[in-house]
Amino acid sequence: MKKLILKSFLYIFLILISLEVLVRVFHLSKDTPTRILDESKVEKWMPNQNGFSVTGNRRQNFSEYHINNSGYNSYREFNPTKDKIEVALVGDSFIEGFHQNYYNSIGKKIEKSIPEIEVYEYGYAGYDFADQLHLILAYKEQFNVIDHVILGIKFSNDLTRGKYEVVTSRLALESPMNNLLKKSKLLVYCKSIGILDPPQQLLYRLKNVLKPVPPINNVSEEELLQIKNEKEHLYLANFNSLIDKYGYDKDHFTLLLDSRITSNLFLTYLEENDFRYIDFSQYFEKSNKSTILIYDRHWNNHGRDLVAKAISKYLKEIKIKQKKIF
Amino acid sequence: MLFNSLDFFIYLPVVFILYWFFFHKNLRLQNCFVLGASYLFYGMWDWRFLFLILASTIVDYIVGQYIHNSDSTSLRKRWLWVSVVFNIGLLGFFKYYNFFVDSWVDLVTIFGYQMKSSWTLQIILPVGISFYTFQTMSYSLDIYYKRLSPTKDFISFATFVGFFPQLVAGPIERASNLLSQITTKRTFSYIQCTEGLKLIIWGLFKKVVIADSIAPIVDDVFANYSSYPASTLILGVTLFSFQVYGDFSGYSDIAIGTAKLFGIELMSNFKFPNFSRNVAEYWQRWHVSLSTWFRHYVYIPLGGSRVSKLKSIRNIIIIFLVSGFWHGANWTFIAWGAIHAILYIPVFLIGRNRLYMNNVVAENRWFPSITEIFQILLTFSLVTFSRVFFRSESITDAFGFLKQIYNNFSFEIYEHPLGYRMIDYFILLGLFILYEFRIRRDERSPFKFKSKVVRFIVYTLVILGMLLFFDDNIDRSFIYFQF
Repeated sequence: MKKLILKSFLYIFLILISLEVLVRVFHLSKDTPTRILDESKVEKWMPNQNGFSVTGNRRQNFSEYHINNSGYNSYREFNPTKDKIEVALVGDSFIEGFHQNYYNSIGKKIEKSIPEIEVYEYGYAGYDFADQLHLILAYKEQFNVIDHVILGIKFSNDLTRGKYEVVTSRLALESPMNNLLKKSKLLVYCKSIGILDPPQQLLYRLKNVLKPVPPINNVSEEELLQIKNEKEHLYLANFNSLIDKYGYDKDHFTLLLDSRITSNLFLTYLEENDFRYIDFSQYFEKSNKSTILIYDRHWNNHGRDLVAKAISKYLKEIKIKQKKIF
Repeated sequence: MLFNSLDFFIYLPVVFILYWFFFHKNLRLQNCFVLGASYLFYGMWDWRFLFLILASTIVDYIVGQYIHNSDSTSLRKRWLWVSVVFNIGLLGFFKYYNFFVDSWVDLVTIFGYQMKSSWTLQIILPVGISFYTFQTMSYSLDIYYKRLSPTKDFISFATFVGFFPQLVAGPIERASNLLSQITTKRTFSYIQCTEGLKLIIWGLFKKVVIADSIAPIVDDVFANYSSYPASTLILGVTLFSFQVYGDFSGYSDIAIGTAKLFGIELMSNFKFPNFSRNVAEYWQRWHVSLSTWFRHYVYIPLGGSRVSKLKSIRNIIIIFLVSGFWHGANWTFIAWGAIHAILYIPVFLIGRNRLYMNNVVAENRWFPSITEIFQILLTFSLVTFSRVFFRSESITDAFGFLKQIYNNFSFEIYEHPLGYRMIDYFILLGLFILYEFRIRRDERSPFKFKSKVVRFIVYTLVILGMLLFFDDNIDRSFIYFQF
């Protein structure tokens, strides 16, 4: 029996080592750049990092990223001047685009369409509207020189708060323990494909085993509708609170949204109050190819093409080349 | 509790350690513990159905005693009927009741009567009912045929019926094999345990890498068959052949391996059926515990092949139809059984049904001959053709599937419904076939390599395969659980 247990442990250990080597050799797992909180309390990536983003098993999506000097994933450095025409794309992971090669980003696609401009992608996974406006305010000097700013917004989850605060849960991912765990590529790979979900769920279940189970409330459709309405009004109030606190230049800023998943209340409000927005939903609706990746809801190359097309069309309409914006 | 779940990976080592460290002192303790662990294993699905297992156990335990103690044949027969009626009754009610009601309604509708199917019930099929009812029946049948003496130890008998590795999807054991081991004190064997662990790893590989990874393709092809060309439909049903094999033989390997950890040897259930050279050989290698059950308890009592040719053909048709019906309450399974009967009868008539009983393809050779390759491909194609019925939701769908192959006989490159690279699966299956061919002589030793280094490399690659093909989003239950 002892022999069996000892040999089993030995085999498990050796196999784990071999798997770690194989995962590294075939680059099956993703690299994770380091996060920082700069002196202006802007959360972003540590400048000048390179690596590969891998999604799913068998490297279904494999792309290189490059964190520039400003701390964002882009092939170019952000040096805005009054002479050049610059457009800033500010948003979350969809703009950040770790799912694409950094040389094939939405910004690059827009630049191909309008070669006279430079596109600066201030994308960071998890950024909501508060993060975005705080960033613009914090880097005021840069953004004042940038000719136009496009802010990606998802009404259902980007307006859940009315003021900016540092998101500590994201920064906690940089804890020494997490950094140590990230050193094992095998572990990172297993986590990314969901093998570690059941043990995590089990631990969660065990942790909560003594806690009383909250009663399940059966909510009627009317109540659900009321909750939805209340949420929408809260989000709208947050939107107003944020633009009051951090400022919003209607001539300088444009929102980027998908009207299919945006509340009518918000769309009407934007229209009635002269907030400009780019709606890329029509492009997605007309497409007969999938616009998202296999493993998650992020845009695939085709989806990014369509978003870039929508933005380029808008920029041409507002005559960005002549700097005749509004 | 699924063999491929985290629950089982916690349950198994705990039960294993308790069994060998704390409950190994005497036979009674061992069996009480295994019985409790088995009921816990089953009860985690639905504890209410434990009463069915217990009822089936009690009935056959008592019937076994009465058959053995009865002097007259008629009385023995009467007691046997009690077991058969009870077990078939359980199966009939839980598995076939709605099918019979619906079929009756369909039948009277054909004759112009209008009848509403208001007698159908919302019945949950208890997991493993087809397996354990057959196992308990085999006990009474063996006593009836005087092949076995009944046990007086109820705990041992209950352990035989409820032994958790094979409780829910077989192998369907005979009392002569399993009960005799359960009534003997088990001692720890290092070799047996390592063999068991190897089988568990190999079974998991077949389930996770072969069956589960193919499942989304098969589901897509069968759900949307009317919009695909022949090439895709043929690909879909071929992959289903591998899926069902990986799924069920994987389960059996894990069951046999787990039993070995507890000092029990279960019978082999799959002996590389994909390398069969005719349909008869296929049935000697596919779901062996079920096909031998039908041979011993249906085919031979009907006269087997020792009667006239016509009667033998009748017997063959009966066992294949019953075998099909055993798989599920649907005409598709009966059609599947009928196709196998049609494929088997010519082999039987030309006397080649026992030709490959005791040898494997390319015996004493590295490679199969051209004739053997042709035979294997033909057999595999025929068996795969029958799987159209096995997999389709209804007879209409099965014929629709075949009609679509005929009407849209064209080639088109198939794209994975979830966007994965199809080439990965072709390479995987190619390697799997080659590896299975390499180990074809012994289904119980999947990692038989002299060199420790080679063995270690194979273990690593097998586990790497599981990591590469693991998909968190798919249903991981076993296909044969529904039977």
